[in-house]
Amino acid sequence: MFKLIRVTGQSLEPLYCEGDYVLVSRLYALFGAIRPGDVVVLRHPAYGLMIKLVEQVTVERDEIFVIGLNDWSVDSREFGGIARKDVLGKVIWGITDL
Amino acid sequence: MIYQVVKALDGVFHFEKAKAHCDIPCGIYDPHMAQIAALTVIRMVDLIEELSIQHKEQDAGFINSMARYVAVKEEHAELAKREVRVIFGDYFKKEHVEKYPELPSLAHKIYQLGSKSRQTVSREPAVELLEAVNRFAEIFWETKGIGTKRVKAPYKPSEEVVYPVL
Repeated sequence: MFKLIRVTGQSLEPLYCEGDYVLVSRLYALFGAIRPGDVVVLRHPAYGLMIKLVEQVTVERDEIFVIGLNDWSVDSREFGGIARKDVLGKVIWGITDL
Repeated sequence: MIYQVVKALDGVFHFEKAKAHCDIPCGIYDPHMAQIAALTVIRMVDLIEELSIQHKEQDAGFINSMARYVAVKEEHAELAKREVRVIFGDYFKKEHVEKYPELPSLAHKIYQLGSKSRQTVSREPAVELLEAVNRFAEIFWETKGIGTKRVKAPYKPSEEVVYPVL
């Protein structure tokens, strides 16, 4: 239901930086459905576990379109939409080293 | 405070990592190209020096060779900078910089020596460039748990180069 994940990489800076932690949950009934603007953790068949920002949710195809926060991000602009079943959950709390 | 607690827990439970990918994660990093580039810069300085001594008359052949040596020196000094910039920016992480606090100033030194090597035909900055790149290579291999050795390159300019002991 809840999972702590460590962030690696820079594509979500300055929101989340290398070494930050996020608490992820699939309890959508409690925390709300996935919407544009949410940050999600997903499992991509080639890239493995990724953390990205949701830009668009396509209900008909049951998939989401994810992006990073910089031009060099590897995301849906490159590999297309992500099936919702591949989403581990949405970030409900970011734990950063202040 | 919370971050420190979670980090300590991570040390015990090893949480999964989610990548915020940038660029293609090919994972292929090697400082060897930077070292070869630095060696090439020294070689070009030597060739420029030899050419100026041998050819007192600045004929077309002289101009052609000199232009080629200078172009290669320019290109390789820049290549050394670029290779180091990529490894420093993409491979080295915060933990590496904490363990090797000299890294940021070393990378900066390499960029400056690369530029100085382009501006001059002096051997000194070129040799310093190679030495700085060699140190960068030593740190790089150390972070991978791979030892290094220093050997003289088996070709001119026969300067010392750091190689990984694989």
